Amino acid sequence: MISIVKKKSTRKTDWRVYILLIPGLLFVATFTFYPIVKMLVMSFFNWRIGYQQVSDFVGLANYKDVLSDQIARRALMNTVAYAVVTVPLQMIFGLFVAVLINGIKKFSISFRLAYYLPVITSWVVVALLFRYIFNNQGLLNYFLTDVLKVVNEPIGWLSTRWSAIFVAMLLGIWKGIGWNMVIFLAALQSVPKEYYEAASLDGLNNRQQFFYITLPSIRGTILFALVMLSIGAFNTYTPIAVLTGGNPAHQTEVVLTWMYFQTFNAMGKMGYSAALSIIIAAVIMLVTVLMFITLSRKKED
Amino acid sequence: MKKYKIIGVMALLLMLASLVITSCSSDNKEVSSDESVVIEFWHNYDAGAGQVEVLEKLIKEFEAENKDIQVKPVYLEWEALKNNVVSGAATGSLPDVLRGDIAFVPQFQSLNVLEEMSALSDYKDAASGILEAPNSTAKIDNIFYGIAANTNTKILFYNKTKLQGANIKVPKTLDELWEAALNVSDSKTIGMVEPWTGIWNVGPYIWSEGGDVLSPDNSTAEGYINGTVAVKVIQKLADLYEVKALAGPSMDPGAVGDTDGWASGTYALQLDGPWRENLNIDAGVDYGAIPLPAGSNGSISVLGGEDFMMFKSSSDAQKKASWEFIKFMTGKHAQVEMAKVGQMPVNKEALSDPEAIKAIPLLPVFSEALKSAKSRPVTARWSEMENIIATKVAEAITGVKEVKKALDEAAVEIDKLISESK
Repeated sequence: MISIVKKKSTRKTDWRVYILLIPGLLFVATFTFYPIVKMLVMSFFNWRIGYQQVSDFVGLANYKDVLSDQIARRALMNTVAYAVVTVPLQMIFGLFVAVLINGIKKFSISFRLAYYLPVITSWVVVALLFRYIFNNQGLLNYFLTDVLKVVNEPIGWLSTRWSAIFVAMLLGIWKGIGWNMVIFLAALQSVPKEYYEAASLDGLNNRQQFFYITLPSIRGTILFALVMLSIGAFNTYTPIAVLTGGNPAHQTEVVLTWMYFQTFNAMGKMGYSAALSIIIAAVIMLVTVLMFITLSRKKED
Repeated sequence: MKKYKIIGVMALLLMLASLVITSCSSDNKEVSSDESVVIEFWHNYDAGAGQVEVLEKLIKEFEAENKDIQVKPVYLEWEALKNNVVSGAATGSLPDVLRGDIAFVPQFQSLNVLEEMSALSDYKDAASGILEAPNSTAKIDNIFYGIAANTNTKILFYNKTKLQGANIKVPKTLDELWEAALNVSDSKTIGMVEPWTGIWNVGPYIWSEGGDVLSPDNSTAEGYINGTVAVKVIQKLADLYEVKALAGPSMDPGAVGDTDGWASGTYALQLDGPWRENLNIDAGVDYGAIPLPAGSNGSISVLGGEDFMMFKSSSDAQKKASWEFIKFMTGKHAQVEMAKVGQMPVNKEALSDPEAIKAIPLLPVFSEALKSAKSRPVTARWSEMENIIATKVAEAITGVKEVKKALDEAAVEIDKLISESK
């Protein structure tokens, strides 16, 4: 055993490794790194599409445009709100379901399947379904006005900024629970049973066990889920695009839908959109780093 | 998507085939080779509606009449049509003739690729047979860079059952229209629908009341889009929206779309284009249609449609051949044939042709509306400007901002665009 390890560590890295790496590296370089660098460059230009179109260097003007743009700011606010609400709630519900499923002996697979189904259904399909439910003449309004008769007039769920974003949040949470459940279920099953046995001998009840044993043991998974979901929340596009299309008057725009609009619906404001992407990337990076710092510090305590 | 892919592949094959054929034929016909001119024609006639078939038939007839000219049609989607001209502006690979959206004219002209069509000696003669309003979409600073190919405009469609049920007469003036929208609305009905809030939608109301979007020379929006008339008209729409007598998905994402709303009897009135006719027939709606009821300045609807354009990059012989082809396509015969597959003619004689009317029953109503219809400002950055207006008008109508304030902001933003492009 030892000799093998030794042999491995002394072996020089084979040049053939690099050859094998080349296709993969080339692929990533062409389709990931090159576009990122190119976009960074574009963000400093008044970028025009077309061959002989001359793109002027404009310095930080695009960044200034984005930061002084009311709609961009509103879109960022909406995105942050979406992240702040959906990320913790998805995790809480996901963890809750995972704990419940972890505690039962029978039907655990059927429950897992049931909760995971929303994850594998298409965003577009469920967003459309949500639109039909929350429309002015949708299912929910039908129940409220005609069946339950609790309100006289249909409620415009999708009509105003925050109620429409609320519907999008609802969709995001509902669709995210399954993924969290699977991740947390795996983490829960890796917590040693002995801890719980010792804890019950010491007289801790279930709630105390959850807070003093379960949560600290799955801290790594929590951090992982938090980071992944935050990045995901900043990249949300489909729910808004399908539910409201950013309407009315760009009130419900999130950063990606606004970026799409500026690039493809308005007359190709490539430089603006590139600057916006870089700003969002910076925000996501900052948020992620902050999460790592705060959560790993707790661990040291 | 799949359909477009197939069309794309077919267009490619067609191009290749025509390339092969033309190269072969030029080899064979040695006698006429120095006289035969090949012109390339880019278009986006709708194959699904049978327009491409009619086009091919018309080209054959044209070639039979003009033995020294060959027309090579190339189908491109709307987006591709625009992008290929933009990139072709650099490489010089441009068509000789193009039939495309009226909005393309100012965009392409700003690329400096369009041939000044009004410089042709018989342009005036050709244009005299064509409705003046649609042809104005090709006019920039009194120079014509194209000629109208086909047109459309919006007329007022109304749900007969709804209006009769509420005992409302068909409106004759704009004020009566607002009144009708208000009175026909109840818990199940929303009087009017506007799917968007751009000038395509609100322009006709503003124009008919004597207002405008930009100054006549397109140099400023100040005092026009935020002028008293525009403010009054948008305020009226905001009032209707507030009492649920007006709706539309861009003002309220929860609202039912116009086509679904017509079918379910939610909407009773809409200013819309020729496509509404077939959609309403399909949905079994008992509808009527009249030109937009007049405001204090008359009945002025908005123009849509396509223009023919010619390019500077063509040789003189090609330009001459292209012009012959355009004259043929805007002539009565070609226009009537195209009307049969849904293209609204611009040729005055074709507009009153019984066969064309048979194909488009509302043609007389549209012809009436077309006499006074107006094009949106023909200026290079118009689509950006219309986006600004759509946003601000939506804010005003939904009550997010006061009407005057929202339109003032629109004027400032548009004037900024104008000063940037100078």
